[in-house]
Amino acid sequence: MTQFLQQMINGLSIGSVYALMAVGYSLVYSIMNFSNFAHGGVIMLGAYFGFYFLAVFKWPFAFAFFGAALGSTVLAVLLERVAYKPLRMRNAPFLYFIISAMGASILIENFVIATIGPTFKTYPQVLSREPFQIAALFIGRLDTMIFITSAVCLALLVYFIDFTKVGKAIRATAFNARVSALMGINTDMIIILVFAVGGFLAGVAGVLFGMKYTVYPQIGAVTIKSFIAAVFGGLGSLPGAVIGSVILGLLETLISGYFSSQFRDLISFSLLIIILVLRPIGLMGKPSEEKA
Amino acid sequence: MFKRPKRCVVTLLCLVLCLTLGISAALAAEQAKTVKLGWIGSLTGDQAVWGQCELNTVKMLAEELNDAGGLLGAKIEVIGYDTRGDAMEAVNCVRRLTGQDKVVCIIGPNASGQAIPISSILEEMKVPDIATVATNPKVTVVDGKTKPFNFRVCFIDPYQGAVAAGFAFDVLGLRKAAVLYDVADDYSQGLTEFFVKTFTEKGGTVVAKEAFKFGDTDFRPQLSKIKAANPDLIFMPYFFKEVALSSNQARELGIKCTLMGGDGWPSEVLIEMAKEAIEGSYVVNHLDFDDPDVMDFKARYIKKYNRQVELNGFLAHDAFLMFVDAVKRANSFDPVAIKNALETTNVKGITGTIRIDKDTHNPEGKEAAIIKIVDGNYIFQQKYAP
Repeated sequence: MTQFLQQMINGLSIGSVYALMAVGYSLVYSIMNFSNFAHGGVIMLGAYFGFYFLAVFKWPFAFAFFGAALGSTVLAVLLERVAYKPLRMRNAPFLYFIISAMGASILIENFVIATIGPTFKTYPQVLSREPFQIAALFIGRLDTMIFITSAVCLALLVYFIDFTKVGKAIRATAFNARVSALMGINTDMIIILVFAVGGFLAGVAGVLFGMKYTVYPQIGAVTIKSFIAAVFGGLGSLPGAVIGSVILGLLETLISGYFSSQFRDLISFSLLIIILVLRPIGLMGKPSEEKA
Repeated sequence: MFKRPKRCVVTLLCLVLCLTLGISAALAAEQAKTVKLGWIGSLTGDQAVWGQCELNTVKMLAEELNDAGGLLGAKIEVIGYDTRGDAMEAVNCVRRLTGQDKVVCIIGPNASGQAIPISSILEEMKVPDIATVATNPKVTVVDGKTKPFNFRVCFIDPYQGAVAAGFAFDVLGLRKAAVLYDVADDYSQGLTEFFVKTFTEKGGTVVAKEAFKFGDTDFRPQLSKIKAANPDLIFMPYFFKEVALSSNQARELGIKCTLMGGDGWPSEVLIEMAKEAIEGSYVVNHLDFDDPDVMDFKARYIKKYNRQVELNGFLAHDAFLMFVDAVKRANSFDPVAIKNALETTNVKGITGTIRIDKDTHNPEGKEAAIIKIVDGNYIFQQKYAP
């Protein structure tokens, strides 16, 4: 029983990092109907920003954390302007967006390898490694912080999308971009905003990831899992992305814990495929013609 | 205006030429008792520091030997070529050493990637080679077949697993072990296999054996499972980044038992990332720089070259020792006779006793250095062979 509860805690903590990353994929998808594969690159750069602010410039933690999030925000918007806007202006097919995104993602990764280097960097230790202990359960301080930060960020995001005027405009654009434009919504601004929000969350996710697991150019291997979680939860749906991520996190831990860690990816991804075959729009997705 | 050179000048020049030729011929006759020993390794590139140290070591030892009267009455001349860390270049170097320079034996290279492809040339030219720090099993044995002219002075990677198991059982007195390993890595798998085999043969129990895949960053599911099995020791045969992450996570889960690892551990980064988590852990390595046995050589080297000895230098020292011992026992400089003598090597080197197994061409049962992490420092404990 103790082991089961401990594994649930492990799963939740892994899932909450996935969730922060997954909502970025979902947000962009809901507006632009394509998968922004360069999101992983923005997360990685966010982690590097955090590292440099903390370890090299010696900023206080809160500043470094916020600075990294802002840095990623700027970067995500820049990415949209450079890689996607020209395509949008020419009404290019969605496939072109995906190719452009993949190109940007490879470019960012290699840029970091060429300039900063391929080896990993270690964040200075911010929180004590002494875990909280409740009965026989151990909960890491950093994990608690990651979980709370993720939950707060996601709650704020839901509030922003569901209860503010701008959020309403985003939802309207997601529903039908052309009609919303006719109704006087500046869809170009909405797209920038969505990338900015996605970028901010990417920065937060990057720093949290870096603190827990170090920073390296190939973080993409983890972000791709969060992408899959987003698809599983239903691309375009925020609650779906969060639930999909938590389920993937729990699934991974329970399989490693009770079956075999070697089969973890095999089994968890087979299950995901089965669910998608039975329900192609994902757990909470809205029906959509194109899924990329 | 052009003046013909005077006849007497021409004669003089001819005379000088003849004299020089005569003297060099005489010198050549004098040096007939010189025997050539080849060395290959990286003198440029990433591994240049290690290669340079090896060549320095071999040259120094040859000089010392020559000053002391040489080997079987002959002087040893060391010829070293740069492989630039490249497998193709290593093959070329061996071709030159065996074809053109006619060396009787080759020491090096320092990496498995270069030591593996040279065997076909060695077999063609029938010259033995003693690799220094090439730890991949395939350097001497491929598909169960021993390569006749390849030898090595270091122990193979997986052997560290056996050392760790023996040390944990016999010296630390631990009886329940768990292993966490990288399923996608030969090195990690080899160490795990030998660890489990030795530990169970000695009478211990392996209570959990959990795997992860290279690239993973979270090990808590596996560690929680290990924790439930309540081991006295967790063996972690992989590299320092994963060691740092997994040891931190183990402590976060409240696991308090001893941790142990192989030569993938020693690194300043590991201390920086996981100082508290790995305190009191044990590491198995080829040798330790503070081992009393290596002190004499270290002092001689530093005196001559005024710089520190790298790990490779110590192993090059013992490779040279193996060569000298084999020549003495063969009582000949014939490469094939040296090869046959190498197969029955049993000498005490500074890195441990080197007893070559005829069937594997590896030093079997060689002692490894056991190092303990105390206050963020790697402290030498003892030499140990299972």
